[in-house]
Amino acid sequence: MNREATGESDYLLEVEDLKVHFPVRSGVFARARNWCKAVDGISIRIRSGETYGLVGESGCGKSTLGKAICKLLKPTSGKIRFDGFDLTSASRKEMQPYRRDIQFIFQDPAESLNSRFSVREIFEEPFVIHKMGDSAERSRKVNALLDKVGLPRSSADRFPFEFSGGQRQRIGIARAIALEPKLIVCDEPVSALDVSVQSQILNLLMDIQSEMGLSYMFIAHDLAVVRVISDRIGVMYLGNIVEEASATELFTNPLHEYTKALISAIPIPDPTFQGERVLLRGDVPSPIDPPPGCAFARRSPIEVSEEVASQPSEYIQASEGHWVEVHPATVRNYDEPKAHPRPTVNPLAEPPEAPNPKLGGL
Amino acid sequence: MAFKLRLNPITIRRLKRFRAIKRGFYAFLALCVASIGSLGLELVANSRALIVSYDGSLSFPTYGGVKLGSAYGLEGDAANTPVNYRELRERFRNEGKGNWVLMPLVEYNPNENNSYEGILRATAPSWDRGHYLGTDTTGRDVLARLLYGFRIAIFFALAFSILVYAIGILIGCLMGYFGGWFDLIAQRFIEIWSNIPFLYTVIIVFSILPLSLGLFSRVTVLLLALVAFSWVGLTYYMRTAAYKEKARDYTQAAIALGASPLRVVFRHILPNSLATIVTFLPFMVASAITSVTALDFLGFGFPPPTPSMGELLKQGTDNLSTAPWIVTAAFISLVLILTLVTFVGEAIREAFDPKKFTLYQ
Ligand SMILES: Nc1ncnc2c1ncn2[C@@H]1O[C@H](COP(=O)(O)OP(=O)(O)O)[C@@H](O)[C@H]1O
Ligand SMILES: [Mg+2]
Repeated sequence: MNREATGESDYLLEVEDLKVHFPVRSGVFARARNWCKAVDGISIRIRSGETYGLVGESGCGKSTLGKAICKLLKPTSGKIRFDGFDLTSASRKEMQPYRRDIQFIFQDPAESLNSRFSVREIFEEPFVIHKMGDSAERSRKVNALLDKVGLPRSSADRFPFEFSGGQRQRIGIARAIALEPKLIVCDEPVSALDVSVQSQILNLLMDIQSEMGLSYMFIAHDLAVVRVISDRIGVMYLGNIVEEASATELFTNPLHEYTKALISAIPIPDPTFQGERVLLRGDVPSPIDPPPGCAFARRSPIEVSEEVASQPSEYIQASEGHWVEVHPATVRNYDEPKAHPRPTVNPLAEPPEAPNPKLGGL
Repeated sequence: MAFKLRLNPITIRRLKRFRAIKRGFYAFLALCVASIGSLGLELVANSRALIVSYDGSLSFPTYGGVKLGSAYGLEGDAANTPVNYRELRERFRNEGKGNWVLMPLVEYNPNENNSYEGILRATAPSWDRGHYLGTDTTGRDVLARLLYGFRIAIFFALAFSILVYAIGILIGCLMGYFGGWFDLIAQRFIEIWSNIPFLYTVIIVFSILPLSLGLFSRVTVLLLALVAFSWVGLTYYMRTAAYKEKARDYTQAAIALGASPLRVVFRHILPNSLATIVTFLPFMVASAITSVTALDFLGFGFPPPTPSMGELLKQGTDNLSTAPWIVTAAFISLVLILTLVTFVGEAIREAFDPKKFTLYQ
């Protein structure tokens, strides 16, 4: 199938009401099943060349969403379209060309590299899999990749354990860009690294993006990291996106209490800063059997009665390209957004605003 | 896709550590030398001569067709029967014409019945007659039978292990990698299968085998019967290993790159789980040797007159008071072989211990 012909959409990636539920066995009897709703109805869109930042506490389903997009996990329901092509029902054969276009960078660089492979073998594998080039060309590509991620060419015949964490992540990045993908899901690529190395890796990722023009889905549990690199940011809470806006809008005008809590948790080096710390109650509830109604209500600083908490929330567009989950417990002045006439609850109905220019360094 | 065992730094370090474990390493060398050396066993224990010098020309009768007496100038009946080289040696010596015969270390072949003073019976070890460990109840040389028995047992055990590994790894990998209904069905099958009593089945199989079946077919049937009841154990390990390795990030990265299941299994999962699996190999060899010895002892092993330790043990225990040398020799050699194999097993397990290779950052 001609992929160009089907790519009528503005978006590189469209995720529509995606659900990934894991069966959880409870008790001795395998029949009695619960579901861990790791991703529970997420819709996002990513434009070509854009960086979509995804933040949320650990365990809220970020990696699961990322892996489902790369088809490393089978979604329970929903649609993933890439370049207009529906990946959800694609067979392994049909997926093959898209494997070149979508890549994944893992959180733990040591785990993501086969310890029995030398760097050369790791870099050559993508070309071998896709039957590209002869051995001379492959070894040229190995050198080019090493140059690109700033590793000495002499690294080619070394093994992963001979490198530091940051260098290993460079190897992981090089492997991901080997096939010149259009989208890379970066799953907390710096959170396992020393702080001193984190900004180097972030800069490398941004350099690669401006050079190759690819899109990132950048996952982090820490808004500070996402802020540097993202055009749009989605805030995830317990399997759902609770607020989504451009990076500047989200930081200047956060609506959801959860977003406010995340922002206020960013350490600010400015002693004159007058912000107040938004504190959450309790722990993240388990995605297995989440409480009814609004998942966040029982942790929100806005205390509501159990009766109110168990009422469902709505996902609305508060302003152009700024989406938020509204519920008495999630936004201040709950009545206010209701006063405005608002579009039907479909985050995909209108395109969000154009990507923002990047913010400064960390 | 070819599966290459790569010598990466981890493997090299493991092998170095294996070498450093002296007891296991020397046991391994000894077993290797003995097994490979046993391929040329005909040059060590044989009723055929190594070299015959007759009328100024040398001949090497060990391999090749049977020579008749006429080749060495024998007359009468002896001219048309296969040469008895021990007699030929005496004859040449008595003639004193400069002809000579060089016999191997052990001058007997394992299936040769040597009567002593006109009757076939067990005789005690005798240096003069060249029966260094005596003869068994039908006058066969015990040492020759032990040596040939070792060769058969060790290669049988190796063939057994290769088959068990191939089947166990294949099925275990499929179960762990694909999971789902294949895993379910295979698990149920294995549960049923491993409840079938092995010994009864072998006895039944051998009682319905036609007697006319050749030696080779019988050994093959025995091998397959043993394999059929032994592959199950490995699938547990392989299934778990494949399941675990598949979930790890490096495998996921390969899948994200579009690697085929075959590639993932053979290039990533197998090499990374082989270290645990390899440690079972010596113990599998040991159990195969024990099993065939036990079956031979019961009379359900290799068909007679195949030389074997089990058969000697049987004879020896039956004639414990009259011919104690038989059981002594068979017992000591069995213990020796199993001890060596176990030493190797221990050393491999120690050297390949994955705990020693965890990388901490
Ligand atoms: N393969 C799996 N089987 C069952 N539960 C899983 C699996 N993977 C993840 N989960 C569960 O899904 C939830 C989300 O996990 P994950 O996506 O890894 O979160 P995050 O990346 O945001 O930290 C967690 O509660 C986790 O326990
Ligand atoms: Mg994660």
